[in-house]
Amino acid sequence: MKIPRFSRKTLCIPYGVFLVFFVLVPMLVILFYAFTDSAMHPSFENFIKFFSDLTKLSTIGYSLVIALVTTVVALLIAYPVAYILARSNIKKKYIVLMLFVLPMWINFVLRVNALRELFNLLAQADGLEMIASSNYFKTIFGMVYDFLPFMILPLYTTMMKIDRSLYEASADLGGSGFTTFTRVTLPLSMPGIMSGVTMVFLPSMTNYVVSDMLGNAKVTIIGKFIYDYFGNDWHMGSMIALVLLVVVFLSTWLTGGFKAEENVRGTNL
Amino acid sequence: MSGKKVLSVLLAGALLLPTLGMLAGCKQEEVTVLKVYNWEEYIDEGGEGSYVYDLLEEEGMEPEKEDAPPIIEDFEKWYEEVYGEKVKVSYSTFGTNEDMYNELKLGNVYDLLCPSDYMIMKLANETKEDGSPYLEKYDKSFFDPDYEVNGEKVNYYIQNVSPFIREKFETNAGLDTPESEPRWSEYAAGYMWGTTGFVYNPEHVKIEDLEQLGWQTFTDQRFRKKITAKDNVRDTYFAALGVTFEEELKAYRARFLDGSITQEEYTKAVTAIFNATDEETISKVEPRLMDIKENIYSFETDTGKADMINGTIDLNYAWSGDAVYALDEAETPDYDKNGEPIEGTELLLDYFVPEAGTNLFFDGWVMMKDVVERGTKKAAQAFVNYMSMPESAKRNSYYIGYTSVIAGANGEMLDYADWLYGGEEEIEENFYDLSYFFPARADGEPVGIYADEEQRTCRQLYAQFPPEEVISRCAVMDYYRKDASERINELWSRVKAEVLDAWAIAVICIAVVAIALFTVFVKFGGKIDLFRPKPKKGYHKVG
Repeated sequence: MKIPRFSRKTLCIPYGVFLVFFVLVPMLVILFYAFTDSAMHPSFENFIKFFSDLTKLSTIGYSLVIALVTTVVALLIAYPVAYILARSNIKKKYIVLMLFVLPMWINFVLRVNALRELFNLLAQADGLEMIASSNYFKTIFGMVYDFLPFMILPLYTTMMKIDRSLYEASADLGGSGFTTFTRVTLPLSMPGIMSGVTMVFLPSMTNYVVSDMLGNAKVTIIGKFIYDYFGNDWHMGSMIALVLLVVVFLSTWLTGGFKAEENVRGTNL
Repeated sequence: MSGKKVLSVLLAGALLLPTLGMLAGCKQEEVTVLKVYNWEEYIDEGGEGSYVYDLLEEEGMEPEKEDAPPIIEDFEKWYEEVYGEKVKVSYSTFGTNEDMYNELKLGNVYDLLCPSDYMIMKLANETKEDGSPYLEKYDKSFFDPDYEVNGEKVNYYIQNVSPFIREKFETNAGLDTPESEPRWSEYAAGYMWGTTGFVYNPEHVKIEDLEQLGWQTFTDQRFRKKITAKDNVRDTYFAALGVTFEEELKAYRARFLDGSITQEEYTKAVTAIFNATDEETISKVEPRLMDIKENIYSFETDTGKADMINGTIDLNYAWSGDAVYALDEAETPDYDKNGEPIEGTELLLDYFVPEAGTNLFFDGWVMMKDVVERGTKKAAQAFVNYMSMPESAKRNSYYIGYTSVIAGANGEMLDYADWLYGGEEEIEENFYDLSYFFPARADGEPVGIYADEEQRTCRQLYAQFPPEEVISRCAVMDYYRKDASERINELWSRVKAEVLDAWAIAVICIAVVAIALFTVFVKFGGKIDLFRPKPKKGYHKVG
């Protein structure tokens, strides 16, 4: 019997079909809706409305701030962890690493719900009620908690790749610990920082499950905004989604996310 | 075909690909597939906690899960017995009227839908892209109580529906509907109904305060971060109208009570206030909505019940059916290992309706036009009829907490209410009159039940079967005509969003541009070395 042989082209068909139906077509639909009015006539009305409405610009700005704070906090937590882990000599590093990834094996909504209950408990304790009942704090906390593994993993893989002899060379040349860090570790871990930042920054602009459940739906980020608009006005909803798409595209391009050789995101996931 | 339609079909096609095989499989056996699209958790699903199960348990039996099947399975059996044909119900659910509407707009086809009052009107008045209507009218024979199929009088809906509901559906519940627009009853058969109000914890909230505050409860500092509003524009805008126009509403009520206006005029006035969407009203309501947002603990859709029970909040603005559910749930104690109730784990919650009036809502079954082509109209109407049997109405109502539109031709549902909430001594002061909802009894007994004071004034009975006096001050929601819809959506986005000052936006913009420029600079080969130490004295930088 002849074993059927697939050419590379044939093997690409399933993904090609997927790409067309679930990436390309939906994007075109969004584009179409964004530039039409309710009578389906071409129109720039939504475009003008979007950029002349303080509410919508505020929400974009607000989401950017929330995403930025989330990213910075996540980076500040993740970097030392990844650094220590990558440079230490402990055996079975993968166990420690696994502990960080472990929460991702549990359903996300379940975890956020648990966090919500935890904050409810904390809010009853003296001295903590201010923090535990601040919707912004809780939202950021939830985002950081949720996205931390996406920051740690790329950082860890990049740092693992740094040749140890470079540290030794730095020390040989009289570099202090601090100098070694700023002149060897930091520049060489830049690709990891970049992909970690992209992987945290972008989803935290739209992850409205967190802002709804932990922010009590009183914190409105751009993802929720789009959802609300899609309840009644698809055209404006699409326009906001399109603006978000542009923001995402720009920031991915700027952080070098399209470069193949630096592609470390998602490694080990 | 318009561009939108083509896109919709493409999209829908892509989404439906996997199910095509299944559908093809079904057709071969000649089973009618009835596609029902209902609210989440809005039907008897059998098993533990269902009416059938609990009845068996009350009789001292130890029922298994299989003894109490979901009501849909029972409908399929019944349909085969009576009509001699097989039907398979394909049941799916939605979370909001707007979600459901979007599904239909995308071109998805169902046989039976269960939208609320205002959405029924929207669907009945709008057409699809190609100009064909969304909805199909019920057959004339559906309203004939004596119509028989194989010897069974199958039109249970018309036999058992409450005269109160019939009247509301025939008159669009007092809405100012133009003559040219249809009445609900042409397209819809009722399913559940209720009011909105506050579930509250009487240990922390005094009823006297609520009565005095009315809608102002939402903005009162005493309940700061202890009260919730709904996370959808319809319900929260309604509440904000109540907060804004409470004085006017109360003035109308006073005039109604002293007899200077009739019930009809009163309802009309209240309905007009609660459905106002003009610019001027919106500008008055907006600051009140901001006050509400400032004062509440959360905007919620389904977390309110749990937050109420675990004590995070003291007040929850809720639909009466959810209120009944929350009251039931809270008063059920936790049990220890031996099945003994743990003391102190039960909590008594109450239900309150503002004196100025509140929302009265109706959810009804409507058929999509496609039932004609799909040949499912008979099965769809049979489904509505099966759900309207008093026994089915009890099962659904028991399971979900909402109030069925069914009264029962022989007072079956009144007996059911009595079984749940009645039992007090049969003296006049314990009497709870429900004659507006239930038909007169054959034996001439007064229509109502004897219940204790709490049930009559603030507990499940009051929430599930509101007295006529509460109904008299309620308003039904109209659907938003074109411009109004946009005005209200923009209002909602302003309320939900954190509107920053212009300078804050400027700062963010500058920061973003700066970061972007910096990144571009680095990207295209620029070098910025923040940490490079300055060369020590006497050393010179080489190269």
